[in-house]
Formats: sequence, structure tokens, C-alpha cells
Amino acid sequence: MAFLELTNVSKVFGQTAAVQDFNLNVERGEFVSFLGPSGCGKTTTLRMIAGFELPTTGTVIINGNDVTFKPPQKRNTGMVFQAYALFPNMNVAENIGFGLKIARKPKDEIKKRVEEVLAIIKMDSFGNRYPYQLSGGQQQRVALARALAIQPQVLLLDEPLSALDAKIRVSLRQEIRAIQQKLGITTVYVTHDQEEALSLSDRVVVMNNAKIEQVGTPFEIYNFPNTEFTAQFVGTLNHISATVRDVANGVLAIDSQQVVTAQKLEGVSNGTAVTVSIRPERISFAEDGRKPNVLNIKVENITFLGSIVRVQVRAGDNLFLMDTFNNPFLKLPEIGDTVEITFSKEAVLVLKNGS
Amino acid sequence: MKRSTLFPWILIFLGFLYFFLPLIGTLDFSLRLVKDQITLEAYKNVLTSARFQNTFTYSFVMALWTILAGTLLITPTAYWVHLKLPHLRPLIEFVTLLTYVVPAIILVFGIIRVYSRPPLSILESELGADFLLVMGYVAMSLPAMYRSVDTGLRAMDVRTLTEAAQSLGAGWRTILAAVIFPNLRIALLSGAFITFAMVIGEFTIATFLARPAFGPYMANLGQTRPYESTALTIISLSLTWACIGVMQFLGRGTQGQIQVTR
Amino acid sequence: MKATMQTTQTLSAVSPPRARNISFAWLGVVPFFIFAILFLILPSATLLIGSVQDRQGNLTLGNFAGMFQGVTLKFVAAPSEASLLGVTFPLPFTVDFQSNSIVSAYILSMQVGIITALTGGIFGFLLAYAAVLGGLPKFVRSALLTFSGVASYFSGVPLAFAFVATLGRLGFITVLLRNYFDFDLYMTGFSVISLLGLILTYTYFQFPLMVLVITPALDGLKREWREASENLGASGAEYWRYVAFPIILPSLLGTMILLFGNSFGAVATAYALTGGNFQLATILIFRQIRGEVLQDPGLGYAVAVGMIIVMALSLALYYWLQRRSERWLRR
Repeated sequence: MAFLELTNVSKVFGQTAAVQDFNLNVERGEFVSFLGPSGCGKTTTLRMIAGFELPTTGTVIINGNDVTFKPPQKRNTGMVFQAYALFPNMNVAENIGFGLKIARKPKDEIKKRVEEVLAIIKMDSFGNRYPYQLSGGQQQRVALARALAIQPQVLLLDEPLSALDAKIRVSLRQEIRAIQQKLGITTVYVTHDQEEALSLSDRVVVMNNAKIEQVGTPFEIYNFPNTEFTAQFVGTLNHISATVRDVANGVLAIDSQQVVTAQKLEGVSNGTAVTVSIRPERISFAEDGRKPNVLNIKVENITFLGSIVRVQVRAGDNLFLMDTFNNPFLKLPEIGDTVEITFSKEAVLVLKNGS
Repeated sequence: MKRSTLFPWILIFLGFLYFFLPLIGTLDFSLRLVKDQITLEAYKNVLTSARFQNTFTYSFVMALWTILAGTLLITPTAYWVHLKLPHLRPLIEFVTLLTYVVPAIILVFGIIRVYSRPPLSILESELGADFLLVMGYVAMSLPAMYRSVDTGLRAMDVRTLTEAAQSLGAGWRTILAAVIFPNLRIALLSGAFITFAMVIGEFTIATFLARPAFGPYMANLGQTRPYESTALTIISLSLTWACIGVMQFLGRGTQGQIQVTR
Repeated sequence: MKATMQTTQTLSAVSPPRARNISFAWLGVVPFFIFAILFLILPSATLLIGSVQDRQGNLTLGNFAGMFQGVTLKFVAAPSEASLLGVTFPLPFTVDFQSNSIVSAYILSMQVGIITALTGGIFGFLLAYAAVLGGLPKFVRSALLTFSGVASYFSGVPLAFAFVATLGRLGFITVLLRNYFDFDLYMTGFSVISLLGLILTYTYFQFPLMVLVITPALDGLKREWREASENLGASGAEYWRYVAFPIILPSLLGTMILLFGNSFGAVATAYALTGGNFQLATILIFRQIRGEVLQDPGLGYAVAVGMIIVMALSLALYYWLQRRSERWLRR
């Protein structure tokens, strides 16, 4: 039996369904992310686990106990909010010790536990500071410590990094993962940032329109998206229109140039117009080594993004992107040049037209 | 999950009782000049009395002068502080605080003492006394007026507007008259109405400067003619509240502001 | 720095050719400060100077000492009892100020100030709480705010008349109770021209002010604070005790201090209600200006300056509390 079980959970607000038929089992110690655009129901689901919302149908089971109708106080979950939600009238130590104080723990035990948790978030000397004296990143670490102090069964994080600067976001995200692994705490993490979800999680739950689109490891989600939405939402995806030339051998034409896919073509016949999707990082310049598919393209635009260089290319009416790793010796074509690009058969995914 | 709203309802009910009972009581009382009869006689007596007409006209005119003087004094100051002298803001705030620290009764005490003896003995003349009354009222309404104008200026981004006008070749007079004042109209109007509401029935300063104003007249009437004075209360209340109503209507959307009354 | 210089240049470009750079900017605020000096600072300063001068114009603190004349402070072995705001508590000394009209007036003013700040403050807070967090329909809140905005301007002479018309001997409620409930309010010893009457009257403009100030503070309580505390195991009562109440306490106390000053400095209502017979500090000054009491003018100035001091102290306390809560609630 899984540690956290959500069975047939749904939530309806008035006329709109915020979450529909949500089923998920989370193992003890697992780190699961809910990923999706805003309004997809990921936060509502998290709030149902915490007990701030009651499910319209379904059950929530934590460690074998049905907590579906229990108030938040009785669930022993630790929640971290997007806006920190530190109590402004208490200093860091009092904030962290709040849950223990409410649980009527002895003073010296609280003190000891607060020190332990402060050490975990590496803020040992900050106990006497007030929230207004801390930076956003520090505040969020304190909020994390406050949630950890009560030794919750499940740690719940609701977009904890989205109010922070890009740099701190990355470092704090690594810290969260390290602490989670060290403590082995079961964690549910809500985010709309695919990079966060992919880098942190054991498993990612992609949600859209109140429903689960796909559940899988970051590797599966990125490389083998089950649905059009997942493929679109996770990573960048090129959409290129093509025509089927040979169903049996997987031959297509992009701008009358021939391309082969490893995918089995079904439900189409020769001459059908289809949409082909290729991730930008799977395309490279042909002069660096040829793969089965080679296309002649015109370079439209070049954007320097730091570690990668993003090139916008044109094949007939199709505009799409390719990413290439940056290095100091990189020889880039000029805008307006016509060059050859190449990609493998496996990189070519055929989507049914109109979808 | 849903908590009972009984207790909140009871509280709100009590609040509304506290608010309305004195109003109903006053209205009821003002209609009972003739025994066992509802009558507007008290209102008729008041409105036709020459003393009422004179004192009310006097206070009305003084209120207008106060508004004019206050506007001319405060608008350029607030504008200037916004645009060029932001470091003076604490000093201005200190002055507005003084009006809280020095209640009207103390203020008028000091004014009498300063302006009834040489070298500034202007209290003796009627005109001088009127002038002092208006200045006292300007001082009283200073915080409200200043806050109103300040909020208005904040909302319209003075600096950008001024610089835009300058870049189009406008001179200072044009900027103030064509850009700043029109944009401040609502703030100034709402300041004017607060001032009017505060000044029209003012009692303390007018009494000690021995001015034939509406407030002292009302207080005087209260000692001899209970029904008429209650009718007067209703009249002055309606007037004050009409002002507040207009002001709240004008001030929709601007930041909520409170005014310490006395 | 650069930006400032540029602005100065553009501004001077449109100003008359010779009035450049310095001094010109000051002219804009000169009228205001002349006004402040002539009609706020000079009058207060005159009172202050008068309060430290004797009749011959020599510097003295005698006027302030004179304020306390006749007040005796006796330390006693057995605790005596003092009563403040109706609460009796033991004191190791006795204070006799009955024979000193000035100190009695100050004490009465402070009593009225404190009591109306408390009654108005607590009642106003409860109303705001009910309207903001009581789960009542939205219109209740806007109605309450509108009525409070209006009622807070109901003061001075008309307010006194309204309460006489309502609770006086022939007042609306008095008559209502007598005719329909056979209950004579005035047989209980109640009078609208009494401390209780004055407190009821002042509360009328005090509680709306509290509503107006505390409503935004209650709005400022974030939903996440409540959720975080629930998540950490706290009940609703514990949330209020440890989180919500401490957060709004500075604004609550600060506003009560404003209410205190509001009542402490008021004179018109009390005068119209009691005909000047009720010995508040403001009424004392009222009569002093008329030359009815205190033969010594220096003593009169000292009484006035004493009021300024009380107001200034209360304002300082208000600012201290205000700063505290602002610091907490920043960002």
C-alpha cells in the first residue's frame, strides 16, 4: 500500500470542475511534482491533501489513515506557501517552533528541535531575526524549516520558488532536494516551471484542465510524452507540416525534402497532411556529422542564450528552432545562409493533423 | 466548516442601533414642538428667524473663504514638495501634526493672546477677527486638506506630467492652470467638502473670537429653545452629511482616508 | 545624481531668466511656513512662554508647580483603596486632589479619554471584525464603512443635542421606555448630563473611527497566515491568540491612543451637553479664557501647555506603535 493515496478525487467549485477523477499513489520518501499551467487544478489538489479544501468526491489516505474529512490540524502535513506566510510578529525561532508550541511540547525540546532545523537550512545564527529582516530566499528557507519542524508525514510545497529571483530559485531548489533526500520525507511539489519539476522529482504528474495528462519519471515525461499537451508543455517543441509519402517505410516530405521517421504510421495514407514534431536540441548542423535525415534550410535568426545557441530556420513555409551547444570555437552560419541540418529517425514524432 | 453568523449579526445590529437611535430620537424630538402632534413648526421657526439666516450666511461665507485660502495655501505647497523639495516632507508632516497636538481650544487661546496685543493687535477690528477666524479654520482643516491634495498628486504622477508639459513648451503658469489644477479637481473638491463640513457648525474658535457664527448660535439656542435647536441639529446634520456624501462619492477609488474630528 | 541635475536644468529652462538654480524653489513653500508660524507655532509658543513666566515676566516654573497646589500625597502603612474606571485596587499611598480643581479636571478628562477610547475602540473593533471576518454578506461591510464615515463627522454641538433629544428627561428613548415598558430611566440615577452620558455621547464618534482604521488592518491579515497556523496544528482560537491578534495589536492600541486624544481635546460637545458645568480640562480652559476661574493668567497658560504635553506624548506613543506594525507588514 502506498504512503499517500489519492483515489477518484475531484473538486467542483460552483459550476466549474477544478479537479476531476484524480488518482495517484505516492510511495514513502518519494518526491512527486504536480506540473501544469495555472488553473489546471494542481494547487487545489495539494490543498485537498493539506485539508484546506474538501474533495467533492474521492478519498485521501495518508499512511493508511483516511484523512479525507479531517481538518488540517489533524493531518500532520507540512505546508510551504508561495508567499512564505511567515508570521510577521514572531522571530525566526518562534516561527519554526510554532507548531511544537501548539503541540504543547516542553520548552527545551522545542529549543533543541528549532536548532536542529535551523542547522538543516544552514541558518544557525538567524534565530532572533524577524521576517522583515530576511531576504525572500531566507524567508522561504525559514518557511521550509517551520514545516519540517513538526516532522510532518508529508511535505507539501505550493510553488515555493516562484516569488524568488532566478539565481536563488536554482540554488534553493537544489537545497530543497538535498534536504528531502537526507530526511527521506514524502513530498508533493506544485509548480508551473517544467525545469523545476524535471530537476527535482522522482515522478512528475502533468496536469491540464483539471485532469492528469501523464504520470512518469522526468525522463519519461520529457522523452516519451504520451499526449500532445505533455509534449507541448514540457520542453520546446517544433511543429512542422509535412505530407506522408510512404506509409510502410515511414517516409514523409517536409517542403518536398524527404524525411524518415522511426514511428509506425497508423491511420494515415499516402498523401495525408500531418504535423511533425521535433525537439530543437535533437537537430544539429550536418557538417558536425550526418544523421539519417538531412534538410536544406535557410537561417532566419540566431539567439544567444548562454550555454546554448538557438537558431531559427526556415524550410519552405515552415519556421522552426534548433538548439546547439555553445563553445568558444563554434562556427555559426550567418543569417540568410542556406545550410544543411540533420536529425535522427527517432527524433521525428508524427502527430495527427489538427491535433 | 461553516461557522455561525449569529454573533456577528448581533454585533452589527447593535452597531446600527447605536448609529440610528440618536438620529431617530433627534428627528422625533424636533417634530414635537406642539404637544401630542407631529409638526414642522420648529423648523419653520428656525428657518424664518433672522438670527439663523444671519449666522448661517456668515458661517457659509467664512467656510468659502476658508476653502479658498486653504486651497491656495496648500496646493502649491504640496505640488512643490512633490516636485522639487521632497526632503521638506517631514517638516510639512510635522506642521500638520501640530494641529492634532494643539486642540482648537488651545489654538484659539494662543491666537487671542498673540493678536489682542501689540504689535499684532488685529483682533479688535471686525475684519481682523474674521481673518483670524478663517486662519484658525484653515489650521484646523489643514491635515484633511493636505492629505486630500497629497493623495491626488500621488495618483497622477506629477513629475512626469510636469516634464511632459515642459517638453511641449508650457511655462509654469500654464502648467499649474492647465495641467495640475484640472487633474487635482476631484482631490480639491473632496478637500473642500471636508473643510465645509468641519467649519460650518464650528463652535470653539468662533465663540472665543466672538464671531456671529452658526455654531455659537446653535449652542445658544440649545439653552432656551430645545425643539428649535433639535430641528437645527437635523438641518446641520443633513448639510454636513450631504457634504460627506458628495466627498465619498468623489473619492471613490482613491485610498480610504480617515479624519480625526473633534 | 545625474538625473537630479538634469531635472534642475530642464526646470530652470522655463523659469524666468534671472531666477535660477538656488532659492527659487524655496519660494513655493514660503507662504505655507509663514502661515504655520503665524497661526500654529506662534500661538503655541506664546502659551509656552506665558506658562514659564510670573506676573512680572520673570522665568519661573511656579505655574506648573501651582497646578498641583493642594494635592497631597501621603504614604500610609496600610494600603488605601483607589478606584479607576470602576475597578478598585490597593495603593500604598493616598492622593487627595479633590481640593485642586486643575488636577481634578485633568483626571476627569483622562478618565473620559481612556474610557471612551476603550468603549469606542473595543466596540468598533468588534464591529469591524464582524463585518470583515464574520462571514456576513458583502453589503454589510460597505454599509458599515459608509455609516462610520458619516458618523465620525457627527460631533460638536449637534451631537450633544442629539443625545439630549434621545436620552434626556424628555428624550426619545426615555419616553419610549416610560410609556411602553413602564421603566423610568431617570429613576435609576441615570442622566445624560453625567459622566456616563458624556461617555455614551463621545462613543458615538469614537467607534466609527475605530471601524475606519481597523478594517484595513483586518483586511491585511493574510489567508496564508491562517492556513499556515492551521497546518501547524493551531485551532482558530490559537491562531487569534498567537498570530492575528498580536499582528493587529499595534494598530488597535495606536488607534485607541488617537481616540484618547480625540476625546481629551474635545470641548464643544461637552460644553453643549452640560452647559460648561462639567469640569473637564478643556472646559477649565474654556472658562479661563472667559476669565471665570483662576485669577492667575500664568496658571492658565500652564494648564493649556499641560494639555499640549499630554497630546504630544500620546501622539509620540501612537507613532512608535505605528512604526512597529508597519515594519512587520512591509512587503
